[in-house]
Amino acid sequence: MRGAGCGMSEFPDLCKVLELSTVILRSIIRDHHIRQAVMLKSVTANQQQYVGLQELSALARTLQPFIGPQKKYRFIQNVRSGESALTCSCFCAIQNLEPTCALGQLVCETLQEHEKIYHTGSGCLMFLAGAWSSAALLGLCQGISVTQIISIMNEGIEICLDAVRKSALLFNGLDVRLSRRSTAAVHGLELSLSEEAFCVASNLPFNFQAPPAKVYQQAQNIRGQRQIKLSRYFCENKSEMVSEFETCSFAHIAEGLSHSCDNLMKLAVEVMQVQSRSNQDITTVTFDISKVTTCVLFGLPEDCSCAVPGCIVLLSDEQVSVFHHLKTKRLKVALIDGDLSHSYHHMGFKRPAGMQHVRDQPSVSESSTEDKWVKKVVKLFLDLGVNLILLTGVACKPMDQNCCRNQILVVEKLNSSVLRTFAQSTGSALVTYPSQLRDHCVGTGVQLALWRDLSCYDRKLVPVNISTEENTGLVTAILTSSVQCKSQLQQDRFWACAYRLHHALKDRALLPGAGRTEMFCIHLLQKQAQNCREKSTNSVPPSAAGTAVALHTSVMLELMADGLMDYITTVMINSGKMSKVEARTIVTRQLQTFDVHQGNATKFPQLVLGNENEAFVFPSRKQTECAPAVEVYDNLCVKQEAWRRALDLVFLVLQTDEEVVSGLDQKMEKDTMML
Amino acid sequence: MSRVVKKTPSVCTDMPLNNAEVCAKLHLMKELLRSCYGPTGRLKHIRNNIGGRVTTSSSSSVLLPALSSSQPLLNLIKSSILNHISRFSDCGLFAAIFCLSLLEHVRQHELRENLAIKVNKHCLSLCTSYLQREDCACRVKVNFCSSQNLMTLAGSIISSKPACLLTEAEKHHISTMVVRAFLQTIPCSTPGPVTLGHTVTVTIVGLRVLDSAVFPGLLVEMYDPFDQTDSSSGPLRTVLFSTSLAGDLAELGDGTIEVDPDVDTDLQVLNQLLELGKQLVEDEVRLCVCQKVIHPVLQQYLRSHGVVVLERLGMALMEPLSMLAGTQPVATLHARILSTAYGRVKNLSTKQFGFKTMLHLQPEGEAAVCTMVLCHRNETMLDELKVVCQKAEHGLRLTLKEPSALLGGGCTETHLSAYVKHKLFLLLQGQQEASESAAGLGCSPAEFLLGVKVFCRSLDMVARSLEHDGGTSVIDLNHAHHWTVSAGATKEDMVGGLGLCGCGLVENSPSTKWTFLNTEYAEFCPAPLLGDSCRKPTVLDSFTAKVNALQVAVETANLVLDVRYIIEDVN
Repeated sequence: MRGAGCGMSEFPDLCKVLELSTVILRSIIRDHHIRQAVMLKSVTANQQQYVGLQELSALARTLQPFIGPQKKYRFIQNVRSGESALTCSCFCAIQNLEPTCALGQLVCETLQEHEKIYHTGSGCLMFLAGAWSSAALLGLCQGISVTQIISIMNEGIEICLDAVRKSALLFNGLDVRLSRRSTAAVHGLELSLSEEAFCVASNLPFNFQAPPAKVYQQAQNIRGQRQIKLSRYFCENKSEMVSEFETCSFAHIAEGLSHSCDNLMKLAVEVMQVQSRSNQDITTVTFDISKVTTCVLFGLPEDCSCAVPGCIVLLSDEQVSVFHHLKTKRLKVALIDGDLSHSYHHMGFKRPAGMQHVRDQPSVSESSTEDKWVKKVVKLFLDLGVNLILLTGVACKPMDQNCCRNQILVVEKLNSSVLRTFAQSTGSALVTYPSQLRDHCVGTGVQLALWRDLSCYDRKLVPVNISTEENTGLVTAILTSSVQCKSQLQQDRFWACAYRLHHALKDRALLPGAGRTEMFCIHLLQKQAQNCREKSTNSVPPSAAGTAVALHTSVMLELMADGLMDYITTVMINSGKMSKVEARTIVTRQLQTFDVHQGNATKFPQLVLGNENEAFVFPSRKQTECAPAVEVYDNLCVKQEAWRRALDLVFLVLQTDEEVVSGLDQKMEKDTMML
Repeated sequence: MSRVVKKTPSVCTDMPLNNAEVCAKLHLMKELLRSCYGPTGRLKHIRNNIGGRVTTSSSSSVLLPALSSSQPLLNLIKSSILNHISRFSDCGLFAAIFCLSLLEHVRQHELRENLAIKVNKHCLSLCTSYLQREDCACRVKVNFCSSQNLMTLAGSIISSKPACLLTEAEKHHISTMVVRAFLQTIPCSTPGPVTLGHTVTVTIVGLRVLDSAVFPGLLVEMYDPFDQTDSSSGPLRTVLFSTSLAGDLAELGDGTIEVDPDVDTDLQVLNQLLELGKQLVEDEVRLCVCQKVIHPVLQQYLRSHGVVVLERLGMALMEPLSMLAGTQPVATLHARILSTAYGRVKNLSTKQFGFKTMLHLQPEGEAAVCTMVLCHRNETMLDELKVVCQKAEHGLRLTLKEPSALLGGGCTETHLSAYVKHKLFLLLQGQQEASESAAGLGCSPAEFLLGVKVFCRSLDMVARSLEHDGGTSVIDLNHAHHWTVSAGATKEDMVGGLGLCGCGLVENSPSTKWTFLNTEYAEFCPAPLLGDSCRKPTVLDSFTAKVNALQVAVETANLVLDVRYIIEDVN
């Protein structure tokens, strides 16, 4: 277990880990118990006292250790199968828990949806869902109605999202704030520019009453305006700017997005650089994640990880001899989207149920239909001169052997996007059945090469690079690990880094990280709450209803701000260097002093990995005395979406008062009513 | 060898409505549905105990099918409401709550069943005839010259389901879309009998609600967008298959066939498919669409000949597409396709929504088919939004049959209730008439009065069900509209701060008198609003749907009241 992960270095925590996982396990057992009681009855289970909200915040609390860059690892063990998984992500944990209750499933679905698109930020989503459901609960306790809570929290999230938009740092290839070597004057100029552009842009949603066409026009105008301004600016400083970007800014962005995952972020950057080798201009750089694959090599030290152009696969023993035969040749390739077996059929094909094979005389030939099929297909391959077959599925055993014998290499289980890239670059076409193959479907110009001789580590490791002559953009991230159980984690973290980079380049914007955006939002929420409180005391004429609404608004906004505050303090606590009280004090102090600046999120100091001038900051070990602090960034769209989804989840749970369950055992359930 | 099992005798329940267990279940169902009613209603998680997806909704069309009961009376009510929903989409919860509260109130007041049935019928006919009258004060004429009433009607239906979680701007956007879609499905220049077109709903998770849009023509998802041409214009000859082109023998049915193992049936079917493909190419077909799967080999063949291939269209899109292109769906691959089966599409283009690539098919002439692309942040809310939009569109279509709408926000219910009470009062004033009609119903005037009270109470109950946050419902003693007072409000607030009534037509004035809806109040004649009021109602309900819901509710309640025995076969 010692080798299991870097996060396990805090050993005192191990006991806690085990204790917690037993709690989770117990809940599994209980769920399973209930599951067995099945009867076709419909039941309405009363969810009084807002059990849903309580459950949500409790679930979020158990997942707290996964928040922030300094994650703690957890084991999740399945008592039934005896399997266990090591995880440090919320999404992974929830999936492994296989929740059966309605709330668990809802959470799971929400996280899945988020993860499917963004691949990062599910921890933030989960935490805020918990924090804001506690806020809603407290609101309910103070007699604020559900409808009011929803409208106030909606107002709150609008304030936050607006603040997020305003704090975004654009880097349309022009924003110097991201490059630290810019002069102060340039800094000031750009700051005002981009802010102006953003203020106008952020007004847009509120002008919605205007007919759509008009809004569109407005949007275009704004864009035009911004472009003009920026381009003038661009002309003045062109030479200086461009050079700065090539040298510094990208690495800087990546560093800021690494979130303490430096080595894997470095790998992600390398992958990106390999992919866009021909294209160095940051204004047009994109990161096409669909062309990236990973290849895990066990037994190698972790610092051997690297990015390699092309697609790297590990070959089995039988395939190696074929490979040696083929490695110097220009190969003809066939791409098959599916399995390579006789019994395989495309999706949607239904096998007739009532088909019987009847023979009126004893069979003459010995070979089965499968053998015949294999022979036919191999003959087809040989006729077409195909030496390499790339598959998304698997090949059946006799096919594999037959191909090996005929010096045809079959590579299985490839990504279909990788296959498509090969199809484009070799002029071939994807087919579903080998019988579809014709001359025009077969591509040429593919090469195989041994990537590296690793026989000194493990004789069985034969990494082979499949590449084409032209640059396809295909890149393989080689992840090396000496510990097998860490490979999944490493892959997860690599993908998280890669996606963060991808989103940053897609958004062309970043958010000030390390709690700065959150503090800005807290500040705005508290300010709004203060305004409401003042309004409620000074309202003329005094109306009880109006006063109550204003009071409720101020209470709910405060509670929402508290949720965000909890988020940053939890991240600080997870860094393991301070207590809750300390963290809260620091944040509160910062918020109090902030009022004077009246700036935006960038004016806040970084909390978790901040600069050394502040008393509360922890100098990162890597930094030397003179180097400036690492600026931490977050993704714009990921954060916005995570917050919005968290609140949506809270709203759904908040508005739900009952659960309709079908298939329950009448005798088993105590707190239910049968229809 | 079979064993003879003695049959258990059937179970007979006498007077099921007097059974405490049955009543408890009816009450439970009423409370369950009541808590879902209206824009601030509560949601329900619906799930199966063995697992699977959790649905969250407050819509009757989602909830009712999930409520399975062992009690036949409940199932009877359920199926009659579901039948109403399948015909009118809207007002399902209204009908269910009204029906269940009628039953409950009849029992509470210990009214004789046969009397209750007669009085209910009497009151119902009073209501329906009033609603059809020209001077009906809770009915609004829908004016097709302006979109305002249509927008209000669509908006009210859309905001009645809180699980959609829409902001004001989003609500506006969606109601505009629904109205636009509705208008696009009305053909303009077709002579002869008019057939309404189709609105197809496509959902996309993960995009903003404001990205939702309406397109003329059809948008069909492409599962394999990489192999298709980007766009083709000029009229394209189109063929539409309703049979599977997957190359299987799916048409066999349940029978068995015996085949020699040397015969490759798959290959034979494939050859048949390729024959078909050859014919399509010969006939210069440019677009080939199939409801089910198309064999990859056939796809490859067609594509190599420049035919755009669309597979897995789904049942729902078959009719709109054959309407759009004017094709006859081909149901077999064993006969030559007649040239009359082909249709035409004006042009094709691809559109990208998030991760989905859609093929946009535009009709050559006016085909009155449009596609509504709905987007929302998460699947639960999107599902509800889809249900609601379809409901709203149906509601708008009903206005074509009867260009009226009813005031929403509970105002129609309170108004009707006050009207029925007033009518009865007039009846009782002329003692002679009253005793005549009472005698006609076979009861004393007092009993008759009680029956009417039950009916009115139940109507009021529906209006009261709109409030879920602890507030109280009040009615003004002038127009008999419905108002809500929030939980914390004081007496002064009631005088100055009530604002507008439920439907937004009546404004609060200091002279207005109020009474709580759950108390007895002296009858009065609900005054119609003066015509010069410039105020427009902000909440409207579909007239046809509501009137039918009223009838369904009363008739179902009467049917249930009429049930004397339940005989259950328990074998």
